[in-house]
Amino acid sequence: MTESSVSPPDAHRVDPLEPWPDAVEWRPVSPKLITVELINRAIWVALLLAGLFVGWMYNDHELWLAGMGAVVLFAIWRSFITVRAVRAWGYAERDNDLLVRHGLVIRRLSIVPYARMQYVDVTAGPLERAFQLATVQLHTASAASDAKVPGLPPEEASRLRDRLTALGEDRAEGL
Amino acid sequence: MTSTDAPAQPEEQPEPAAEPPAALSPVPTEEPRRRLHPMSPLLHGAKSIAVIVAALSWQTLSQVGVGRFALVVLVLAVGVVILSLISWLNTGYHIVGRELRIQDGLLWRRNRAIPLERLQSVELRRPLLAQLTGLAELRLEVVGGGKTEAPLAYLTVRDAAALRERLLALAGRTPAQPAPAPADPAAPAPAAPTGERPMLQVNNQDVLVSQLLTPQAFFLPIGVAFVVVQFVLQGSWGFVGIASTVTAMAGVLMQPVRRVLQDWNFRLARDTDGRLLVRFGLVETRSQVVPLHRVQTVTATWPLLWRPKQWLHLRLDIAGYPGPQSGTDKGSDRLLPVGDFWTARALVWDVLPGVDLMALPTTPPPARARWLHPFALRRIGAGLTDQVFVSRWGLLTRQLSVVPYARLQSVRVVQGPIQRRLGLATVYADTAGGRSGTAHDRDLAEAWALAEQLATRARRAREEHSGRDVVAAAVTDDTTWQRPPAPADQPSADQPSADQPPAQP
Repeated sequence: MTESSVSPPDAHRVDPLEPWPDAVEWRPVSPKLITVELINRAIWVALLLAGLFVGWMYNDHELWLAGMGAVVLFAIWRSFITVRAVRAWGYAERDNDLLVRHGLVIRRLSIVPYARMQYVDVTAGPLERAFQLATVQLHTASAASDAKVPGLPPEEASRLRDRLTALGEDRAEGL
Repeated sequence: MTSTDAPAQPEEQPEPAAEPPAALSPVPTEEPRRRLHPMSPLLHGAKSIAVIVAALSWQTLSQVGVGRFALVVLVLAVGVVILSLISWLNTGYHIVGRELRIQDGLLWRRNRAIPLERLQSVELRRPLLAQLTGLAELRLEVVGGGKTEAPLAYLTVRDAAALRERLLALAGRTPAQPAPAPADPAAPAPAAPTGERPMLQVNNQDVLVSQLLTPQAFFLPIGVAFVVVQFVLQGSWGFVGIASTVTAMAGVLMQPVRRVLQDWNFRLARDTDGRLLVRFGLVETRSQVVPLHRVQTVTATWPLLWRPKQWLHLRLDIAGYPGPQSGTDKGSDRLLPVGDFWTARALVWDVLPGVDLMALPTTPPPARARWLHPFALRRIGAGLTDQVFVSRWGLLTRQLSVVPYARLQSVRVVQGPIQRRLGLATVYADTAGGRSGTAHDRDLAEAWALAEQLATRARRAREEHSGRDVVAAAVTDDTTWQRPPAPADQPSADQPSADQPPAQP
């Protein structure tokens, strides 16, 4: 990245998901994450529906049914969003910092310098493990920093972790 | 970093201070473990009485009667004293190399090593009881964890001051001269470091007036009238009722009163190493030492009611102190409790050399952001200067925050659904202090450019910083305490704010 990118050439053709399109190469997360997220949501929806159903059994009122309908509709809508959101999730390793972008309704982009890294977490829940996925999270001294990359294949996760720690040690500055 | 296993520690020794240090220490520089002051358990017990009374509440008092209430409180307080006595027996600290080691814990023994290079600030606190007994509490702030990780309560004032000096000497960036004499504990240390240069003393009257100019103080007469009317109408003058009401009122009033008590006699000074010495407090005196390179952000606030006086207050964030959101008013982050603009300007220039409160141009967000900020739009702004990221916000209470690039931890760009409609985005500059510099609702293209600029400038600042630090320690002594360059024309002092011509970032 050079200084020349201060004033973007054309302010009106900025893609919210593609800042600096020529300078950054975004890597996607695994599409299997869609399945994981959907299953995760399905479990929650099932639990909610079960709760509402029990309520309906005891107290025969249309509101319970309406609630169940709303939950189902919301779940379907969220599922469409999830598919797109996972596709929108991306990360990029630049020379000095890690970029992570995610979110569709609320779009977020984080720029975290390797030099500020305090530690790296690699986690994998049971569902993620079943699909051979892992989550890498970079922590800085600021609690507000938000650099989490889910849905990585294990080898990519460990590669990223090793690279981050190597770069972090290299450029360590701490606070 | 938290706990180290030190099997060879003389941990279980009943009288460690009496042992010859060289006999059983593996490292030659290791010194004997030292105890806190023997009065500590009593002070802890006395302190707990207030907590116990509050926990039992006035209601209980009226139910069980004064005698039994006092008995219960006494029994509990004695229990606390006994517990603190045991914990005192198990607590010790000593310095090993460039680490401070603290052992404590009753059931779960903890042996904590604090690397002194990571020290953010050191504070010496003297609550009222400690002042009466000549003791002090030493608090070390390190990053990580929401609370102070290493309070040493209590030491004698002299010990605490000496220990603080040693810790700071060890923590200094310059890898200290061959271990400054493993000082024998009895050596008298100057209570105040020599060569200290006073910078500022805040007038107590100003503090008092400034806290009278707060919403709480304005509502006090209304509150009192309300309570009196209620009592007169209902005619119930029970002790519990009055006591409860007074307690409730105290809750509301507490903040300004506590501010006055805390900010009383507020003094700032610089020591020879360029560190900031902050002293304040009436009932509980506190004295902080903050190395300047630990300052994460500086925030200036112009409260609405202070505007006739043209006053503002300055706050600084240090990594390790609990953030403002943690609710308690304990965050000791004052740089200037109350003062006029010129004082603040000189102070900021001193704390962040080269940053002039007058010359912080910001640009407002594009006009279409008025959908999100119908009134405050002209008061919002963000800008980049040579060294700092500036942002301002707030219609009634105007605020301005300054984040040095060298302190940036990460940069975020966030766009919510409404912002997406309007083609806007918000840029956050995160620091370790808990507060982020925020550029609200910028044009999307500008937001990306801003984020890129912040990342680039932060990197450059970091690179320079690592080289400059050693020099800075030597230079800061005399060069920094000069007034910022006087502006050619003196604009209205009340705010150097959004009316300035926009500058392109």
